[in-house]
Amino acid sequence: MFLAKIKKRVVSTRKHPAYNGKHVFVVQPVNPDLKAVGNEWVAVDYVGASIGDIVVCGGAPGVAQQVFQLDYAPIRTLIMAIVDKIDFRDFQ
Amino acid sequence: MKLGNVIGNVWAERKVKQLHGCRLLVVQPIQSSGRPCGSPLVVADPGRLAGIGDTVVIVTSTDAAQAFDSGVAPVNAAVVELVDIIQ
Repeated sequence: MFLAKIKKRVVSTRKHPAYNGKHVFVVQPVNPDLKAVGNEWVAVDYVGASIGDIVVCGGAPGVAQQVFQLDYAPIRTLIMAIVDKIDFRDFQ
Repeated sequence: MKLGNVIGNVWAERKVKQLHGCRLLVVQPIQSSGRPCGSPLVVADPGRLAGIGDTVVIVTSTDAAQAFDSGVAPVNAAVVELVDIIQ
Protein backbone atom coordinates (compact mmCIF):
# COMPACT_ATOMS: atom_id res chain seq x y z
CA MET A 1 0.00 0.00 0.00
CA PHE A 2 1.17 3.56 -0.50
CA LEU A 3 0.47 7.07 0.70
CA ALA A 4 -1.02 9.37 -1.93
CA LYS A 5 -2.57 12.78 -2.37
CA ILE A 6 -5.82 13.01 -4.33
CA LYS A 7 -5.30 15.37 -7.24
CA LYS A 8 -8.30 15.20 -9.57
CA ARG A 9 -11.54 13.35 -10.14
CA VAL A 10 -12.22 11.21 -13.21
CA VAL A 11 -15.75 11.70 -14.55
CA SER A 12 -17.03 9.01 -16.91
CA THR A 13 -20.44 7.88 -18.12
CA ARG A 14 -19.46 4.88 -20.26
CA LYS A 15 -17.76 2.35 -18.03
CA HIS A 16 -17.70 -1.21 -16.72
CA PRO A 17 -20.75 -1.80 -14.41
CA ALA A 18 -18.48 -2.41 -11.40
CA TYR A 19 -17.59 1.30 -11.52
CA ASN A 20 -21.19 2.51 -11.35
CA GLY A 21 -21.85 4.78 -8.39
CA LYS A 22 -18.19 4.94 -7.35
CA HIS A 23 -15.89 7.94 -7.27
CA VAL A 24 -12.70 7.51 -9.27
CA PHE A 25 -9.74 9.76 -8.48
CA VAL A 26 -6.30 10.54 -9.89
CA VAL A 27 -3.86 10.09 -6.98
CA GLN A 28 -0.24 11.18 -6.76
CA PRO A 29 1.90 8.89 -4.54
CA VAL A 30 3.76 10.84 -1.85
CA ASN A 31 6.47 10.24 0.74
CA PRO A 32 5.66 10.58 4.44
CA ASP A 33 6.90 14.15 4.14
CA LEU A 34 4.13 14.63 1.55
CA LYS A 35 6.51 15.19 -1.36
CA ALA A 36 5.36 13.71 -4.67
CA VAL A 37 7.21 10.62 -5.82
CA GLY A 38 6.63 8.54 -8.97
CA ASN A 39 3.76 8.56 -11.44
CA GLU A 40 0.08 9.12 -10.78
CA TRP A 41 -2.39 6.25 -10.42
CA VAL A 42 -6.14 6.03 -10.76
CA ALA A 43 -7.95 4.71 -7.69
CA VAL A 44 -11.54 3.89 -6.74
CA ASP A 45 -12.76 5.58 -3.58
CA TYR A 46 -14.35 3.48 -0.85
CA VAL A 47 -14.19 5.83 2.15
CA GLY A 48 -15.70 9.09 0.91
CA ALA A 49 -12.42 10.91 0.31
CA SER A 50 -12.23 14.15 -1.66
CA ILE A 51 -9.71 16.17 -3.65
CA GLY A 52 -6.72 17.28 -1.58
CA ASP A 53 -6.94 14.50 1.00
CA ILE A 54 -3.93 12.39 1.92
CA VAL A 55 -5.02 8.76 1.66
CA VAL A 56 -3.76 5.21 1.85
CA CYS A 57 -4.14 3.37 -1.49
CA GLY A 58 -3.39 -0.11 -2.68
CA GLY A 59 -4.98 -3.50 -3.13
CA ALA A 60 -4.23 -7.04 -4.09
CA PRO A 61 -5.77 -8.77 -7.11
CA GLY A 62 -9.37 -9.74 -6.47
CA VAL A 63 -9.64 -7.64 -3.30
CA ALA A 64 -12.12 -5.24 -4.91
CA GLN A 65 -14.38 -8.19 -5.67
CA GLN A 66 -14.60 -9.04 -1.98
CA VAL A 67 -14.69 -5.47 -0.72
CA PHE A 68 -17.48 -4.40 -3.07
CA GLN A 69 -19.12 -7.86 -3.12
CA LEU A 70 -19.35 -7.83 -6.91
CA ASP A 71 -19.40 -10.74 -9.33
CA TYR A 72 -16.75 -9.14 -11.47
CA ALA A 73 -14.66 -6.16 -10.34
CA PRO A 74 -11.87 -5.08 -12.69
CA ILE A 75 -10.60 -2.71 -10.02
CA ARG A 76 -7.08 -2.86 -8.64
CA THR A 77 -6.18 0.32 -6.73
CA LEU A 78 -8.53 1.13 -3.86
CA ILE A 79 -8.58 4.16 -1.56
CA MET A 80 -8.74 2.51 1.83
CA ALA A 81 -8.16 5.24 4.42
CA ILE A 82 -8.06 9.00 4.85
CA VAL A 83 -4.93 9.92 6.78
CA ASP A 84 -5.28 12.24 9.77
CA LYS A 85 -1.68 12.27 10.99
CA ILE A 86 1.66 10.68 10.08
CA ASP A 87 4.49 10.28 12.61
CA PHE A 88 7.75 9.26 10.97
CA ARG A 89 11.51 9.28 11.43
CA ASP A 90 13.76 10.53 8.62
CA PHE A 91 14.12 8.18 5.68
CA GLN A 92 16.34 7.87 2.63
CA MET B 1 -5.27 1.59 -12.72
CA LYS B 2 -3.87 4.17 -15.06
CA LEU B 3 -5.01 6.85 -17.49
CA GLY B 4 -4.25 6.32 -21.17
CA ASN B 5 -4.77 7.66 -24.68
CA VAL B 6 -5.97 5.22 -27.34
CA ILE B 7 -3.51 5.64 -30.22
CA GLY B 8 -4.27 2.59 -32.35
CA ASN B 9 -5.97 -0.73 -33.02
CA VAL B 10 -4.55 -4.24 -33.31
CA TRP B 11 -6.20 -6.60 -35.80
CA ALA B 12 -5.50 -10.32 -35.39
CA GLU B 13 -7.29 -13.12 -37.20
CA ARG B 14 -5.80 -15.96 -35.22
CA LYS B 15 -5.90 -15.50 -31.46
CA VAL B 16 -6.97 -17.31 -28.32
CA LYS B 17 -10.65 -18.21 -28.06
CA GLN B 18 -11.46 -15.72 -25.27
CA LEU B 19 -10.27 -12.79 -27.38
CA HIS B 20 -12.54 -13.49 -30.33
CA GLY B 21 -14.95 -10.59 -30.81
CA CYS B 22 -12.89 -8.46 -28.45
CA ARG B 23 -11.19 -5.30 -29.69
CA LEU B 24 -7.48 -4.85 -29.01
CA LEU B 25 -6.42 -1.22 -28.65
CA VAL B 26 -2.96 0.33 -28.50
CA VAL B 27 -2.94 2.63 -25.45
CA GLN B 28 -0.25 5.12 -24.41
CA PRO B 29 -0.27 5.47 -20.57
CA ILE B 30 -0.41 9.14 -19.60
CA GLN B 31 -0.45 11.35 -16.52
CA SER B 32 -3.48 13.57 -15.90
CA SER B 33 -1.46 16.47 -17.35
CA GLY B 34 -1.27 14.55 -20.63
CA ARG B 35 2.42 13.71 -20.28
CA PRO B 36 3.12 10.19 -21.59
CA CYS B 37 4.60 7.81 -19.00
CA GLY B 38 5.75 4.36 -20.02
CA SER B 39 5.58 2.56 -23.34
CA PRO B 40 2.35 1.88 -25.27
CA LEU B 41 0.44 -1.25 -24.26
CA VAL B 42 -1.99 -3.54 -26.07
CA VAL B 43 -5.21 -3.34 -24.05
CA ALA B 44 -8.33 -5.47 -24.45
CA ASP B 45 -11.64 -3.58 -24.77
CA PRO B 46 -14.34 -6.19 -24.11
CA GLY B 47 -16.92 -3.52 -23.30
CA ARG B 48 -16.33 -1.77 -26.65
CA LEU B 49 -15.92 1.48 -24.72
CA ALA B 50 -13.26 3.36 -26.65
CA GLY B 51 -11.80 4.20 -30.03
CA ILE B 52 -8.73 5.97 -31.35
CA GLY B 53 -8.20 9.36 -29.73
CA ASP B 54 -10.21 8.63 -26.57
CA THR B 55 -8.87 9.02 -23.04
CA VAL B 56 -9.55 5.90 -21.01
CA VAL B 57 -8.91 4.31 -17.64
CA ILE B 58 -7.19 0.93 -17.96
CA VAL B 59 -6.68 -1.69 -15.29
CA THR B 60 -3.31 -3.41 -15.56
CA SER B 61 -3.26 -6.48 -13.36
CA THR B 62 -4.87 -9.87 -13.10
CA ASP B 63 -8.08 -8.00 -12.33
CA ALA B 64 -8.22 -7.11 -16.03
CA ALA B 65 -9.61 -10.57 -16.72
CA GLN B 66 -12.70 -9.60 -14.71
CA ALA B 67 -13.58 -6.93 -17.27
CA PHE B 68 -14.74 -9.81 -19.46
CA ASP B 69 -18.27 -11.16 -19.08
CA SER B 70 -16.87 -14.65 -18.48
CA GLY B 71 -14.44 -13.25 -15.93
CA VAL B 72 -11.77 -15.46 -17.48
CA ALA B 73 -9.31 -14.21 -20.13
CA PRO B 74 -5.57 -14.39 -20.67
CA VAL B 75 -5.13 -10.63 -20.32
CA ASN B 76 -3.58 -8.30 -17.83
CA ALA B 77 -4.74 -4.97 -19.31
CA ALA B 78 -8.32 -3.96 -20.05
CA VAL B 79 -10.26 -0.72 -20.66
CA VAL B 80 -12.72 -0.08 -17.83
CA GLU B 81 -13.77 3.53 -18.30
CA LEU B 82 -14.14 6.03 -21.14
CA VAL B 83 -13.14 9.35 -19.54
CA ASP B 84 -15.44 12.38 -20.10
CA ILE B 85 -13.64 14.98 -17.95
CA ILE B 86 -10.79 15.04 -15.44
CA GLN B 87 -11.42 17.90 -13.03
